[in-house]
Amino acid sequence: MSLLKVSNLVSYIGLFTILHGVDMEIKQGEAVAILGRNGAGKTTFLRSVMGLVKTRSGSMVFDGNPLVGKPPHKVSRMGIGYCPEDYGVFDHLTIEENLNLAVHKKNAATAERMDYILDLFPDLKKAHKRNAHTLSGGQRQMLSVGRSLVNDPKIILIDEPSKGLAPVVIEKMALALKEISKKSTILLVEQNFHMATIVTDRYYIIDEGRTVHTGMMKDLENDKELQQQHLGL
Amino acid sequence: MGGEKIMKNYISGLSTIEKIEKLLLLAVFVVLVVVPHVSGTATITMVSRIMIFAVYAMAYDILRGYIGVIHLGFALFIGGGAYFVGIMISQFGVSLPVLLMAVVGTAIYSAIWALIVGRISGKSGLLATAMITMAFAEIMRSLMTVWRTVTQGEDGLTFRVPSPFDNRMFMFYASLAFMILMAFVLYKFTKSPTGRVWQAVRENEQRAIFLGYDTNRARTIALLVASIVGGLAGVMFGLLNRFVNTDLLGMQMTYNAMLYSLLGGSGTLFGAILGSGVVVLFQNLLLDLRGVHFIFERWLLFFGGLYIVVVMFMPRGIMGFYYDWKEKMAYKKRVKDGEKV
Amino acid sequence: MANILTLLFNGISEGALYFLMAASLSVILGLMGVVNFAHGTLFLWGAYVFRMVFIFTGSFILGIIAAAAAGFVLGIIFEKAFISRVYGNIGAQIMITLGLQIVFTELVRVFWGPTALVVARPEFLEGVSHIALGDIGTVIISHYRLFLIIVGVLIAIGGHLLLTKTRVGMTIRAGVQNSEMVGALGININLYFTLVFAVGGALAGFGGALFAPLSGSINPDSGNMFQLMAFIVVVVGGMGSFMGSALGSLFMAVMVALIGWTLPDISLVAPVALMALILIFKPQGLFRWAVKK
Repeated sequence: MSLLKVSNLVSYIGLFTILHGVDMEIKQGEAVAILGRNGAGKTTFLRSVMGLVKTRSGSMVFDGNPLVGKPPHKVSRMGIGYCPEDYGVFDHLTIEENLNLAVHKKNAATAERMDYILDLFPDLKKAHKRNAHTLSGGQRQMLSVGRSLVNDPKIILIDEPSKGLAPVVIEKMALALKEISKKSTILLVEQNFHMATIVTDRYYIIDEGRTVHTGMMKDLENDKELQQQHLGL
Repeated sequence: MGGEKIMKNYISGLSTIEKIEKLLLLAVFVVLVVVPHVSGTATITMVSRIMIFAVYAMAYDILRGYIGVIHLGFALFIGGGAYFVGIMISQFGVSLPVLLMAVVGTAIYSAIWALIVGRISGKSGLLATAMITMAFAEIMRSLMTVWRTVTQGEDGLTFRVPSPFDNRMFMFYASLAFMILMAFVLYKFTKSPTGRVWQAVRENEQRAIFLGYDTNRARTIALLVASIVGGLAGVMFGLLNRFVNTDLLGMQMTYNAMLYSLLGGSGTLFGAILGSGVVVLFQNLLLDLRGVHFIFERWLLFFGGLYIVVVMFMPRGIMGFYYDWKEKMAYKKRVKDGEKV
Repeated sequence: MANILTLLFNGISEGALYFLMAASLSVILGLMGVVNFAHGTLFLWGAYVFRMVFIFTGSFILGIIAAAAAGFVLGIIFEKAFISRVYGNIGAQIMITLGLQIVFTELVRVFWGPTALVVARPEFLEGVSHIALGDIGTVIISHYRLFLIIVGVLIAIGGHLLLTKTRVGMTIRAGVQNSEMVGALGININLYFTLVFAVGGALAGFGGALFAPLSGSINPDSGNMFQLMAFIVVVVGGMGSFMGSALGSLFMAVMVALIGWTLPDISLVAPVALMALILIFKPQGLFRWAVKK
């Protein structure tokens, strides 16, 4: 059974239609990449899932429930974690506060969950009480990803975690995401092909607001022609 | 000899709706030309006022409707122009050269405010501009209140105007000519390359900058044009009323410009003329109803209500409605023609 | 010298009223990106409701509570019925709050009449104390003004603690930076929008209630001056900053008092000119650091 099923999704911002028909199906436990050129609509797609962008038509079903028209906070509470492109970290809150803010319902598992996150990103453990504006770009990304995990979501949506990071940090982040993918379903928007190959098994390519191709990551890795055609690599 | 033929071709080239539009416009013009000969002084003055307010509101529309600046001190211009006329005449005598000096003074005064506001809106954005412009009008008002020796403070300044502006009939035609001239000038501006940049800025300033437009310059030009035209409307208003007080610099005058242009149709320029006419007539109607119930004395209650209704439910105003309807008609016609073929 | 001290004291007590207006205006601006041009109207309603209840019950405290409640309820109505429908459209927001200002100011005229009404001070806060300071002279301390300063300080401390020490405050501070992300974390940010607007309305109404006995008379234009001063304070203190507006209020109060003493004719021109200069040269405000811990 699919966890997230999107059919013929059309989304718009103001007067502009950005997505013209996205189809996608993600199963429990998968790690899936969304690839495509700049401005193809990848970010808008994640924002549509979160309810941050308005949907004109099409359907999105998550875990058996419709998503279209739900406000962001309800989408989040259905079990969807989200890391936006600009990290969405709150500068004037400490790391601890950033993580606590995301907790939906404090229970016995919460503390355990926090430990898991801090073990995953030792950098955050060290700077626990510091204000987030003192963090580096990589650390912000870690905080963003860590924060998306606090409620043990059924899926996490991550928007370009490699953006603006140094190669070493990207490597570190990729390994962390690989680790997370053992426990959680991941939907990853990525420009950095290397990172996508490490983290994900399957991919969709979005171009001009439509899903144009899907397949296994392994096959894409070996198919230079396909890479050229869709990714301009 | 060819003139008649060209005219015929021109008319047959128009669609039915366009023909009606042109006829209506002609009818309005004829009515306006005839009005002063068939009606009393009160009506002549009211229609003159509508036409001057229309210019004031069109100037406002350049800011709100075209470049997207929200100027909450627009009363600076209608009040400033009127005060220039009043002060100059009462200080230097009732003559045409003095009036000319008042016009020049108003233009300079308006331009200075435009440059200051341009500087601030370029730096601090829409909200800060709205807040500071409101404060600017308020300080002008308080200055005019305090400068009692010259302005008579809150009592207001009564003055005479030089011939031929002291003639109601002349003033009416002058206002009509003023409105047509300013409508033409502003229309030319909106259709110029600068006017196109204005709309690009309103739609998306970041993108306009990205496309290489100097958006600050475009905004300053818009502010200059709107402020000076607004100031000239103030001069005309002063000549019409032969009286000016601090109310002309108050928030209510700015609200008037906003409501006229908004109701008529933001970003349609000529909508402001329509808005000015509708609101002033509506106001007169309510004032006549005062005897029926005391609530009608509270004109502002209706004014504010109308305002909220327009913002929430018809953001494109009357002209916007009309344009949408016209579009729909044209579409239907195309569909119908398509079916026949 | 003693005269100046008295003058400063009086000025600062009015600064407490600026603060009540400016702090709520600033937090609303920070969180929702809305400048509430109807804020002075909430202040006005607070003043009139206070007067009505004060006269009816004879209780100063009940009058103040009623005024704050009126501001709270009007805040909810403004946000829910009008402003929330045009979030993201700055032009429409400005227009709509202006429309509300016109209508609700006019309603005050309908209900209470267009002329000024007299308001008495509560007995227990009436009177003045003369404090002799040796060579400096005697400073005159009005009890009611002292009360205003104490209330202002308490609200500043309380608000600061609320914003820094509680989960609600944490959410608001997060929302000031990125309200969309707060929503995406599973928090109903719209609820916070309404809440902040309502509490802001209550503070404005509260300010109006405190103003009425201070001035001794109220009229339908009473809110305008305070709204304008609140705008200036918000710009001086840094838009969206709570403590910034506290420091900004103090700063403006002192400045207005000193200018009013030396050059009374330009007592409004100078603050507005300062606002213009700040917007041109330092748009982030003079006290923006206050918000960053």
